[in-house]
Amino acid sequence: MTKYLLKRIFYMILTLFLVATITFFLMKFMPGSPYANEEKLTPQQIHIMNEQYGLNKPLIVQYLLYLGGMLHGDFGTSFQYSNQPVSSLIAARLGASVQLGLQALIVGVILGVIIGSIAAMKQGTWVDSTATVIAIIGKSVPNFVLAVLLQYYIGLKLGWFSIAGWGDFSQTILPTIALSVGPLAETARFIRTSMVDTLSSDYIELGKAKGLSRMEVIRKHAMRNSFIPLVTLIGPYAVALMTGSMVIENIFNIPGIGEQFVKSILTNDYPTIMGVTMVYCIGLVVILLITDIIYGLIDPRIRLAGGEA
Amino acid sequence: MKLTKVFSVGAVALVSASVLAACGSNKSGSSSSNAKQVVNWIENAEIPTMDLSKATDVTSMNQLGNVEEGLYRLGENDKVENALATKTQVSKDGKTWTFTLRKSKWSDGTPLTAKDFVFSWRRTVNPKTASEYAYLFEGVHNATQISAGKAPVNSLGVEAQGDYKLVVRLDKRIPYFKLLMGFPLFFPQQEKAVQKFGYKYGTASKYMVYNGPFVQKGWTGSNLSWKLVKNPNYWDKSAVKLKAINYSVQKTPSTAYNLYQSNKLDAVMLDSQQTKNLKSNPGYTLRDTAATFYLQFNEKRKMFQNADLRKAISMSINRKALGNALGGSNTPATSLTAKGVVNHGGQDWSDVVGDKEFNQYNPGEAKKYFQKALKELGVKSLSFSILSDDTDAGQKTTETLQSQLEENLSGLKVSVANVPFKTRLNRSTNGNFDIVVSGWSADFADPISFIDLFTSKNANNNGKWSNAKFDQLVADSKSTGNETQRWNDLKEAEKILLKEQGISPLYYKTEAWLVRPSIKGIVYNGAGLNYNFKSAYVAK
Repeated sequence: MTKYLLKRIFYMILTLFLVATITFFLMKFMPGSPYANEEKLTPQQIHIMNEQYGLNKPLIVQYLLYLGGMLHGDFGTSFQYSNQPVSSLIAARLGASVQLGLQALIVGVILGVIIGSIAAMKQGTWVDSTATVIAIIGKSVPNFVLAVLLQYYIGLKLGWFSIAGWGDFSQTILPTIALSVGPLAETARFIRTSMVDTLSSDYIELGKAKGLSRMEVIRKHAMRNSFIPLVTLIGPYAVALMTGSMVIENIFNIPGIGEQFVKSILTNDYPTIMGVTMVYCIGLVVILLITDIIYGLIDPRIRLAGGEA
Repeated sequence: MKLTKVFSVGAVALVSASVLAACGSNKSGSSSSNAKQVVNWIENAEIPTMDLSKATDVTSMNQLGNVEEGLYRLGENDKVENALATKTQVSKDGKTWTFTLRKSKWSDGTPLTAKDFVFSWRRTVNPKTASEYAYLFEGVHNATQISAGKAPVNSLGVEAQGDYKLVVRLDKRIPYFKLLMGFPLFFPQQEKAVQKFGYKYGTASKYMVYNGPFVQKGWTGSNLSWKLVKNPNYWDKSAVKLKAINYSVQKTPSTAYNLYQSNKLDAVMLDSQQTKNLKSNPGYTLRDTAATFYLQFNEKRKMFQNADLRKAISMSINRKALGNALGGSNTPATSLTAKGVVNHGGQDWSDVVGDKEFNQYNPGEAKKYFQKALKELGVKSLSFSILSDDTDAGQKTTETLQSQLEENLSGLKVSVANVPFKTRLNRSTNGNFDIVVSGWSADFADPISFIDLFTSKNANNNGKWSNAKFDQLVADSKSTGNETQRWNDLKEAEKILLKEQGISPLYYKTEAWLVRPSIKGIVYNGAGLNYNFKSAYVAK
């Protein structure tokens, strides 16, 4: 197990290094400068500014300086927000996105599991069809459409929750619902398929033959085996949700990281692009590792250490 | 990675529009903060910085203009009003300005003196500060050399004589110098604060010191809401009626409008669909933004050296239809200088110089000019490409132009290219375009901030249009000490540019807003500082 983990961590670091390198050079190929006022600056003025920021140094020197800084945890300072360290910018913005993403993931997955399981158990009945319709709608209606509708009808017309803003829990409800529909639909679809498969397998029949009650069979045997594909799904979903959705953040005025990232690309804010990319990347590799560990826990057939143990 | 989501923003607008349409008319709520002298205002983007040497954007400028103050404050129609200056003397040659300052205090209680101006100006032109706006100091003695690192910072032509006298030496006459003094870039900064906060200076409300009508609270660097409260140390505090202005950043027009309807916001900027639906709302307000969009023709391409072709193109454009396609609040343009920037003898400058001959839709004449151009060029057909942004507005502009030009000029083939903003700038600078849709907004309310762009050597003259008479007139306008002569030179210059179609104006950018009617006394200017809340109040 330890050997496996060490190997995985080595690969993670290698992945991070490659992502940092590729992103750095791709980013430098983008046209333009990071100056907000670029359209009004003459080439000479831009040259003077570049000198101040070290942007006229050879690319490879800039790259090595950047890597050096990153090893010390220094992502540099943002261009969009003058003098703000990228690390504090990310810290200030990531929290809201992570909270919202987790809430949406939890709500979506729990409801999805419930709907999917019920559909599988009542396979072929109107309950099953209703669940399928919910899943299709949830998958095909973009979350921002739902967000706008929720905001207008529940926020403004009914006045049940805040229209927008960030601060207290009630303000997170509408965006959570909007964001959770995607994972809900996906989970429900997956769980149903996989549970239908499981329910028709021989060991379920055996369980029933042993005299276990229907609920016991489902809880102890069907559920656990149906969850395996779900784990694959949730890992990347968690990253996608927690790194923020620009559109949902904009609609509900949430100070999240999603929009910052997009804006940093559009404005050539090099340090922020790198900083956010690395944070995303770290999130992704860590979650993938956790996913693999969880796999081993719920499915004894998958042994992390392989045959070497 | 997440870029695809950018494009769904447009879809958000579409969905919200249909939601609103489905719900029919929406009553505008009665004002919530009646007589409480609190206003809930909107910004479209976060504050990037409160460091006035570094600010370049509208949000920062709006903040700085209300929490800081300089020699002058710009009133209605950019009228220059004394602020910290009580008396201004100008030497006969217009190159030495002596300002007498009033006694006033910073928000921390320290007296504000002429030295704070000297410190601030030197800091801005210092190349180490890397101010993106330092070029506005051009003309102040040695400013350009200092920014280029070729002269010491203390050689800048600004000097404190005692605590309350500021002397500025210019290398040349700057006719719009007073307007510049009302722009936050020229406001004072406290040396003590800049030293104390170091690199944190201007990165949050608490790392700042103020001298304007309001002080800022609760901005932490990149958050979406904060407030301005009345500054008890302001020299003219009895004139300030508002107790507080609560700001929030709103990026989705439908959200902002929902908040307006529920009285959580007192102002919203409308998107194109909302503009169409809400024209009869009592709060409906149009704001001229001092920005013009225009076509530049690349004169490195032989065909665009032909003025008849440029005229044919311009007269084939139905600017009203273009404005409608873009949402309806923009105004068709007949001049380069934007509408609402300069009032000249009781008339808007855009009406004074506006060209009604070639900047008017006239397909009949356009065809004649096009035939003439084809003959002169010795060709039977032409084709070119129009470059613009990949934004919604950019795409609608190129689509409309393409169809109008091809419809009106037979034998013309138009292709379009829509690229990201930074790419468009890059291709414009490198002359990598046939025709480009460009936009410019004035830094200060004087036609020269537009006209200057198209002198032969100007870096922003991307099409490289060149006219000796035009260059001469612009140069003359800068050297003459005679005010009337200057205006005549500028007038003639802009008329030449428009008649020759050195550029072809398309539209003035006008924004549609809803502003709670009970809020009075806000001073809005398109150029320089947008919003001045010093005398604003909530009517009972």
